[in-house]
This record gives sequence, structure tokens and C-alpha cells, in this order.
Amino acid sequence: MYLGHVNMRYNDSSGLIMNRRSAARHQFPSLWQAFLAQGRVIFALIMREIHTRYGRENIGFLWVIGEPILFCAGVAIVWTAIRPSYEHGVQMTAMVVTGYVPLTMWRHTMGRAVKAYEVNSSLLFHQLVTPLDIILARTILEVVGTILAGAIVLGGAVGFGYMKAPADWGLVYGGMGFITFFCVGFSLVIAALTELSDLLEKAMGIISYLSIPWTGTFFMIDWMPAHYRWILEDTSPMANSIEMIRAGVFGLDVVPHYSIFFLFVSCMLLLIIGLYMTKRIRPYIKLS
Amino acid sequence: MLALECKKLSKVYHVGKTRRVVLDEVDLQVEMGKKLAILGRNGAGKSTLIKMLGGVEYPTAGVIKKNVTVSWPLAFGGAFQGSLSGHDNLKFVCRIYDLDYKDTLTYVEDFAQLGRQFYDPVKTYSSGMHARLAFALSLAIEFDCYLIDEVIMVGDARFIQRCEDELFNKRGDRTLIVVSHNMDFLRNFCDEAVLIHDKKIHRCNSLDEGIDRYYSL
Repeated sequence: MYLGHVNMRYNDSSGLIMNRRSAARHQFPSLWQAFLAQGRVIFALIMREIHTRYGRENIGFLWVIGEPILFCAGVAIVWTAIRPSYEHGVQMTAMVVTGYVPLTMWRHTMGRAVKAYEVNSSLLFHQLVTPLDIILARTILEVVGTILAGAIVLGGAVGFGYMKAPADWGLVYGGMGFITFFCVGFSLVIAALTELSDLLEKAMGIISYLSIPWTGTFFMIDWMPAHYRWILEDTSPMANSIEMIRAGVFGLDVVPHYSIFFLFVSCMLLLIIGLYMTKRIRPYIKLS
Repeated sequence: MLALECKKLSKVYHVGKTRRVVLDEVDLQVEMGKKLAILGRNGAGKSTLIKMLGGVEYPTAGVIKKNVTVSWPLAFGGAFQGSLSGHDNLKFVCRIYDLDYKDTLTYVEDFAQLGRQFYDPVKTYSSGMHARLAFALSLAIEFDCYLIDEVIMVGDARFIQRCEDELFNKRGDRTLIVVSHNMDFLRNFCDEAVLIHDKKIHRCNSLDEGIDRYYSL
């Protein structure tokens, strides 16, 4: 029961402004209003994140894209220079670009998810800000940054003739879609788990580094001995979506191993677990 | 009518393996429009209680029933991002509460009077300036109940005068919950008191009784 209509009684100035300033407005939102409020909060968090991380000097928020570009382009250039230009019949540059863009998205979203709640705990003073908003804002920023960077790197590589344009764009979009799906679920889980365990937080760097082979970034599943392929095919959403992207980029030059059914089920499961953990995490967040 | 009601509220912190009970099954009722002082020694759990009322900390057990809108706790730390300027923090608050940016800016600049430092990072502010910003921003949103944890007291005379104007005169009908060790301030502005001691909340019959009990702790 809401009793406080003091807001309405107070003040002689225009009623409209008072109404807008009233906190009671956010008290019992309809589903649509709650949805709008969540959008507003996530947008505010993204803007805040951009300002705290990149400041207002020089290129400012363009670093959101600039950082992954330098990563992906740097690795692509170095690998193109030092490795043979074809391996197993596919172009080296294209292998690096198709592998490194998803890997960057995964590593960056994971990096930003670690202890995301504790470092942002001062924002939880505002009742409208929830842990889900905090982690979604961070993840969206990384995902959008990496996708834009990936598009630019791909455009550059194709434009300068280091790789052919993708044979099937649909599979490229689909693969990137599943990578994003996976990264969102994964960052929800990691944000909650690292909040609960300091040990896991410290181990995250090692875990992410050691699991690079499991992501299938630098090779294709078909290059593995047939009886070991299941290790990536049946357990790794990352490897499955990278295979899907490569199927789109290389077309008939490669034999891809991926399953849309596996991707959908594993990513959905991860997202549901992640959402459940995010819903439960609030009382465990250490406030600074 | 009750603005706020706590029933069997407990808060337990776990530091390493030790379990520290801060509040043990306490009850609290705050009537609408009342100005309640929370007294107690350092570490008694006053700020913890305020944070739970503001929905920042979660109680280990018990319920808090709110019948009105309650502000975030106005305290040192929290609510602001230190590396951002006062102005950026204002924009953030405007965005989440969907306030009109220009109106709020005018109001906050006028109330906080931070001058050019409004555009400097909050972490470079003195505690008085921090308090001015915190107040201005929270008054830009019309809450029915304000939670104040010490911050007014660090302001200069002029700021206290302004707070008095805005909070006690213009918004005299609001509920207020104040934590402070400044008894003169409490005598001037509060009309009820509770004392937190030894994990319990002790209701006092009058503010003066509360202050006497506080001094005899």
C-alpha cells in the first residue's frame, strides 16, 4: 500500500515538473514502464562506463571499438607476416580474423564480468539499478565494440586482398549471433561466481588463457584426429560458433563441424543459469 | 500512519570465519512526517540500519515494509562514482530517474554552489562539497522519506541554513531519519529518538531522554 502522496501536496510551482521529479513515479511501474526504466538504467550505465573508462580526452568513447581493433588487427598482421599464407588449404589471415574476433569478444566480456558487482556497488545505492543492469551494460558495451571492430577488421582484410569476402553471410551472422548469445550467458555466470569466490577471481586469468585451445580459435575441428573431435564438437559453444562463422567465410573450401541444436541448447542453458544466479546474487554483493 | 516498519530485522556479517551480529531481531516503526534521530556509539549499527532502510544492504532476516518512497542513504561514500565529475553524476541520476536535465542542473548548481568544481571528479571534493552535491541531487528527486547519515553536519553554516530551508521548511511534511552525533543539530530538528545499543533498538519516550541515555552509555 502506498500512502505517501506528500509529493503532490508540496510545492506551488507547476504540477507537471513536480510530477516528473517525484520518486513515487517509479514505485509501481506497469510492465511497459518497468521495461522502459530498465532500458534507461542500462543506457545510463553504458554512458557512465564509457566516461569512466575512456574519459573525454582524445578519441574518448571510440576506444570501445579501437581497443579490439588494435587487438584483432595486430594479431592478424603479425600472424600473416610470420606464418605461411595457407594452412590446410585455407588463408591464414582469414583464419586469424574469424578466430580472433570471437575470442576477443569472449575474453573482453569475461574480463569485464569479473567482480563487476563489487566495483559498481556504489551504483546499487539507487534502487532502480539492479545487478542485471550492471552486467548487461558492461556486456553490451563489449559485444557492440567487438562486433564493430570485427566488421572493420574484416572489411580491411578483404579490401587489402588478404582474404576473400565470405561465401555465405548468413552463416557469419548466425555464428556471431551465437557467440554473442554465449558471451552474455557466460558473463552473467562469471559475474555472479566471482562475486562469491575470491579464489575464482584470481584464477580467471589462468583459466581463460588455458581454455584458448577449447575455444577452437586457431584451428578447425576437422584438422583434429577424428576420435578427439567430440572434445570441441560436443562441449564447446565457442568452437561450434567459430566453425559456423568459418563455414560462412570459407564456403566449400572447408569441412565445418558444428551443430545449431547444440549451440542453441547450450547457450540457452547457460543464459537461464546466468539469469537465475543474477537474480539471487544481490544480498551477497559486498558493498564498498 | 506508518511510513516505515521493520519487523524482526537481523543483520549478520561474516568476516572470514567469524560471525558478527550487528542487529538482532529489532523492530522499528516510523510514523509519517516524523523526524527520527538514531543514536548510538560508533559501530553500533546505525549506518547499517540506514542502509537497510534505503534498500542498499539486505537484512539477514526479517522484513522492512515501506509505505512511502525512501531516498538512498545520504552518507559519505556510495551513490557517486568518484572518478566522474559532479556533473556526470548528475547526468547519471537524471537518466535513471528520468528527470529533466536542464531543470535538475539549475537546481543542483544553485543548491550545491560548487562553482567550477562541479565539473571536477567527485574524488577531489572535500567532505563538505561532497555533502552539498549529495543533498542537492537527492532533493532533485522528491522522496517522501530521506535517510541522512551524518552528512549535513560537515557543511558550513550557510549550507546548513539551506538544508534547513529546503528540508525542514519547504519539505516539512516529509519523514526524516537522521544518524548523528551532533546533539545540538538533533535537538533542533528531530522530534523522536531511538538508541541502538548491544544489537538492539531501544525506543525512547522523547528526544531528550534519548540524548540522556546516549550520554550515559
